[in-house]
Amino acid sequence: MRGLKIFAATALAGFVAFSGGAEAKDTLRLMTVFDAPTVKLWEPVLAAYNAANPDVEVKMETVAGSGAAVYPDVLRTSMASGDPPDVFFMWGGEIAGPFIKAGQVEPLDAYYEKYGWDKVVAPWTIERITRDGHKYGVPFHARGMGLWYRVDLFEKYGLSEPKTYDDLANICSTFKKDGIYCASFGGKFGWQTMRLLDYFTETTCGPEEHDKLNALQSSWNQPCVVAAYDRLAQWVKDGWLVPDFLNVAPNDARMPVYSGDAAMVFEGGWFEGVLKSDEQPLENYKFFLPPTGQTPVRYSAFPEQWMIPTSSKHKDQAAALINWMTIADTQKQYPEAFTASATIGVESDCTVAPRDCEWKKLLTSDSATYPPTDQAFTKELIDGFFEVQDGVVAGKITPADAAAQMQAKAEAWKAKQKS
Amino acid sequence: MSEITLGARRPVIVRRRRWRIPVTAIPYLFLAPATLWYAAFLVYPMLQSLYVSFFDWDGLSPTMTFVGLENYINIFAVDEVARLALWNNILWTVGALVLPTFFGLMLALALNRRAPASTLFRTIFYSPAVLPLVAVGLIWAWMYNPHFGVVNVTLKAVGLRSWTNGWLSNYEMALPATFVTFIWSHVGFPMIFYLAGLQAISKDYYEAATIDGANAFQRFRHVTMPGLAETHVIVLSLAVINGFKVFDLVYTMTYGGPGRSTQVLGTWMYFQTFQYYHAGYGSALAWVIAAIVLVIAIPYIRRMSRG
Repeated sequence: MRGLKIFAATALAGFVAFSGGAEAKDTLRLMTVFDAPTVKLWEPVLAAYNAANPDVEVKMETVAGSGAAVYPDVLRTSMASGDPPDVFFMWGGEIAGPFIKAGQVEPLDAYYEKYGWDKVVAPWTIERITRDGHKYGVPFHARGMGLWYRVDLFEKYGLSEPKTYDDLANICSTFKKDGIYCASFGGKFGWQTMRLLDYFTETTCGPEEHDKLNALQSSWNQPCVVAAYDRLAQWVKDGWLVPDFLNVAPNDARMPVYSGDAAMVFEGGWFEGVLKSDEQPLENYKFFLPPTGQTPVRYSAFPEQWMIPTSSKHKDQAAALINWMTIADTQKQYPEAFTASATIGVESDCTVAPRDCEWKKLLTSDSATYPPTDQAFTKELIDGFFEVQDGVVAGKITPADAAAQMQAKAEAWKAKQKS
Repeated sequence: MSEITLGARRPVIVRRRRWRIPVTAIPYLFLAPATLWYAAFLVYPMLQSLYVSFFDWDGLSPTMTFVGLENYINIFAVDEVARLALWNNILWTVGALVLPTFFGLMLALALNRRAPASTLFRTIFYSPAVLPLVAVGLIWAWMYNPHFGVVNVTLKAVGLRSWTNGWLSNYEMALPATFVTFIWSHVGFPMIFYLAGLQAISKDYYEAATIDGANAFQRFRHVTMPGLAETHVIVLSLAVINGFKVFDLVYTMTYGGPGRSTQVLGTWMYFQTFQYYHAGYGSALAWVIAAIVLVIAIPYIRRMSRG
């Protein structure tokens, strides 16, 4: 009997010790879309945080390669089941909208005051993620997009980076005469073609009107929108774009550029890393911001952010982790993990990543940007936008009808929101 | 200290009454675990989705708004994409009933003999059926790539440049091109079923028919086809069900595009539920798919079973 008592006491003590140990160390779940190489780069970052914070263990979960198509579904399921991560990656704009609207994301205004993030990250990125006057996330990536071109092809035909839209049109015309497509696009999912249409809208409608269109404060059924659709149709009709691209995956659209059959591709700052992994000669690729002929000259850019779910049990610790990942001191120690950083004062190594270095200077300067439409519209409305865009590319909808149809979709969307 | 005298009292014999399970209840006991599992993981979610289909709900918020039959009415009266998706499903199902079934039967007839390489060919023709449809969709999307895909490259190589096409980018060609992939990946199913059915038909019937002077077509018409009646039930029912459930190939190959031209009910349900945050409407779409499959499949199975 005595033996049994000793055994019970030992077991109880062990259980208490084990429970105590488990409680002493909180697990913070960090959900991202990082691919395997990026996860590898982040391992020392998280290891350093864990070492410096013995009461916390950060574990990264990743939904790699899915992009905005699947990742929000995974996140939504985890939230709906009451088991969300403590910190999660999210794009800016309307992709985050449904989570905020459903009350699933914690407003971080108090943490902004506590940590002074307003002064740490690029102001335009904070402005872009602010919703109804509240900051629900902390920007960590600032992504800009432009036209990347083959230097050898430009040199071969004596071309230089365009300063006006007409210059760009002349470049395309020259390439076409020599049997080279001006640009390659992957129309599957709609968003890569959208970058070109967004650029046309910026050039034909101007910055102010473009912003109003994105906010549905102006009618899409107006001459400048018709002109934008007309340019898209014309580029297809004139054979400036690699044909039959509507269901080509965006990644596959790079192939004609690599093979020299096309001269340009509309990509973001991340394209430098893609070129490296695709073993393309980096010196043969440069980018320029498509000339708009407007004042200010703006280019397409968007932030990516960290967010904290309302139902996280470790909000303060999550905010502390975000702060540690955001500050320049941390990012300077791990430059490869923090490329395209939205943090001010974190310079890229221009010898290692020269294009990223150029982007970084642009994105943390006071240069003006406009959001890609897929971050301005909800997924439901943007799919309507893509439907019209595809119709124009395929020649099934005239530019005038496209503008009218887009306005009808915008009105239907607004009516649905009111009801 | 007291002393116990054994045998001082008459021993009491306790007769334990043996509890017996009625024989008629035993089968139900064996069925109980499976029934509980089925109820928890199939019946409950189905009923829950039926319940949700009467609400306007984003799938995230704690509040749901009751809208009655509005979601169902919208599918047929308002939502043009849902009607297009339904039409695409009908076309797909008709195609799925005819083409893979026909090719599967032909392959089964060809391979239902003792030939040296018949096992190899059976394996070859069945192997696409075991591949994940997502992988199949991605591979075929590359094959259809207008720039470097094997289909256009081959056509150009054999002098048929005018036949090249933007297979998945063309509004008229995208659904048929996706369906070709479906045939390739699904022809193995009916082939295997028909092979099993053919091997169950006694050779005596064929010998008797031959003695009676029946030619090959007559033997096929009057011996093989009736002998495969039960197999037809399985193959055709699965074709209808698979036709209305189609999702993976369309999602991976076209993503419902170009435009909305290849949307089917399965993908539209997914878009509504998971991408547009209309969980109620998506559930209603799911029940429409289920209802259509049941309406077609149940009477057909009953009729064929009786026959």
